[in-house]
Amino acid sequence: MNHQCHWTEVENIFLPREATIVRSVQATPTETHFTLKMADGRPLEHEPGQIVELSLFGYGEIPIGIASSPTRKSTFDLVVRSVGRVSGAVGKLDKGESVYVRGPLGHGFDLTKLRGHDVLIVAGGIGLCPTRSLIQYILDRRDEFKRFVLFYGAREPGLQLFTDDLAKWRTAHDVEFYETVDKSDPSWSGNVGVITTLFPQVELKPETRAVICGPPIFYRFVIRELDMIGIPRENVFADLERRMKCGVGKCGHCQINDKYVCVDGPVFSFADVQALEEAF
Amino acid sequence: MTASFIRSDDFAAFVTAMIEAGPVYGPVAKRSRFAFARLETPEELRLDYDVSILPPKKLFFPPAQDLLQFDGAGFRAPVEPTEKVLLGVHFYDVKAIDQTDLLFSERNYDINYMAHRETTTIVAANIQTVSSRAFFASVGADVQPKGHDAFLSAIAGGYVLETLTERGEALLKFGAFQPATDAQLKEAAEVNAAALERCPEKLEHGTEAIAANVRAAFKNEEMWTAMAADCFSCGTCNTVCPTCYCFDVQDTWNVDQTSGQRTRYWDGCLTEDFAKCSLGEGACENFREERATRFRHRMMRKATYLNEKLGGPACVGCGRCSAGCTADIADPVRIINQIMAS
Repeated sequence: MNHQCHWTEVENIFLPREATIVRSVQATPTETHFTLKMADGRPLEHEPGQIVELSLFGYGEIPIGIASSPTRKSTFDLVVRSVGRVSGAVGKLDKGESVYVRGPLGHGFDLTKLRGHDVLIVAGGIGLCPTRSLIQYILDRRDEFKRFVLFYGAREPGLQLFTDDLAKWRTAHDVEFYETVDKSDPSWSGNVGVITTLFPQVELKPETRAVICGPPIFYRFVIRELDMIGIPRENVFADLERRMKCGVGKCGHCQINDKYVCVDGPVFSFADVQALEEAF
Repeated sequence: MTASFIRSDDFAAFVTAMIEAGPVYGPVAKRSRFAFARLETPEELRLDYDVSILPPKKLFFPPAQDLLQFDGAGFRAPVEPTEKVLLGVHFYDVKAIDQTDLLFSERNYDINYMAHRETTTIVAANIQTVSSRAFFASVGADVQPKGHDAFLSAIAGGYVLETLTERGEALLKFGAFQPATDAQLKEAAEVNAAALERCPEKLEHGTEAIAANVRAAFKNEEMWTAMAADCFSCGTCNTVCPTCYCFDVQDTWNVDQTSGQRTRYWDGCLTEDFAKCSLGEGACENFREERATRFRHRMMRKATYLNEKLGGPACVGCGRCSAGCTADIADPVRIINQIMAS
């Protein structure tokens, strides 16, 4: 090997930065919505759809999609579902406390492919978190995009995320917002059914660019609907979830065939990943 | 660079002088087998070893390596490499190191591996004893090792040391070397060529044909299920592989419950939970739940996925996985030859 020593001159990719919690909201019984600010004052400078590795010393690191747009510069949002060792510990934190982040990591949504077009975002469950980075971006730069349609499905009304946003989107004129729940309760008067039940409610053009993010099962059904509209698969962008342990394309856990989700994605054109047998 | 000769009688003094100058790692006997370890004396060095239990990558990518250490006040990255010599690496392991060098330095440069790598002088050595499952002669045969600093070949009466870098050249000062003669160089080339003839196992096809056929066999679920039927999902094939580099990262507390470390540990794609994700509320998705899918992933990775990036297969024919597998189902030669015959 070429023995010019580079290691003394290169930044350590595993060193995290401190971020302070400026707001913490218990969004659902298991999910906490954090608004964070980098402790060193330097903004995160991410693209919509990128991830960070979020950590607490002694607990570990987890990959989380950034849930806010870079157009809202001074802070950024993460939603943490408390299901494991790290997320359980982070979920208990409050305003003023610190977490650590590495990132932004990976490739987000390719805005050059969305600008100037009709955009449909289909978000299932916690899939609304990473796509919210794009939703906010579109709303903040509304002139750069044409028609904007947003579908959101939650399992039940009490599990809806970003309820303040939802309230705004329901009455907003710059986004056509459709929502559904799999299972209703007495508080709910809206659509009931899986996310695909929203498709018959709106006419979409085959030229629409579609962004989809949800649980693993969701992709198979949503792509069928998009096919029926006639949206070519290279215009469908899927934000995938995997066990992105290192976030820098080394550890192997998020590999789908020869792709590393953490560096080649997490956003892929559907045309690029549909041939990968282990993608969906 | 240069080619030199040292007499057998002077070799121990050469190794001693290197040991006195700094850490030297080389193959030593471990019961009936061999392992790379720090040399205390030249007598421990067993250049007649067949294959080491673990590949020498452990020097740069240890089974457990702290990425961070933290205490109540802050954190630090403990990257503190020392200059060292790694002596006696067979050419197939040099090829494997070439691969991990590329994989750890490309895209996101991994200082934790590279710092240890860049401070190591590698002296390759000819294969004196061929292990019982080796197939290094027939896998990626057109890929030549390039990451070593010098190459040591045992010939009659002594050793030829061919240096490839300044680091390799700097070793000459430790021993009573004299310029190698043409006859000695010819003999060195012959002993190296002879080792290639002695591989007990052999792939019957070239890299590209294998890559295409293994990839095309992806959907042959019946075949993968049959091949993986006896797999214990133990990950031994991953653990002993010189080109495997997957890892897990875990934080642990020290006994004071304030300080601790973030450590990466070798991990393996054959283990059951390797690609498992939590979906919350007890639900999870395992993207390679079946043994057959994990077994297949390993073969895809060795024979096809990384070929373009590496310029050859991610397998160097050491035979460690074949010998290490409890059920003896991991042998790439048997798997690939079966796919090629089907």
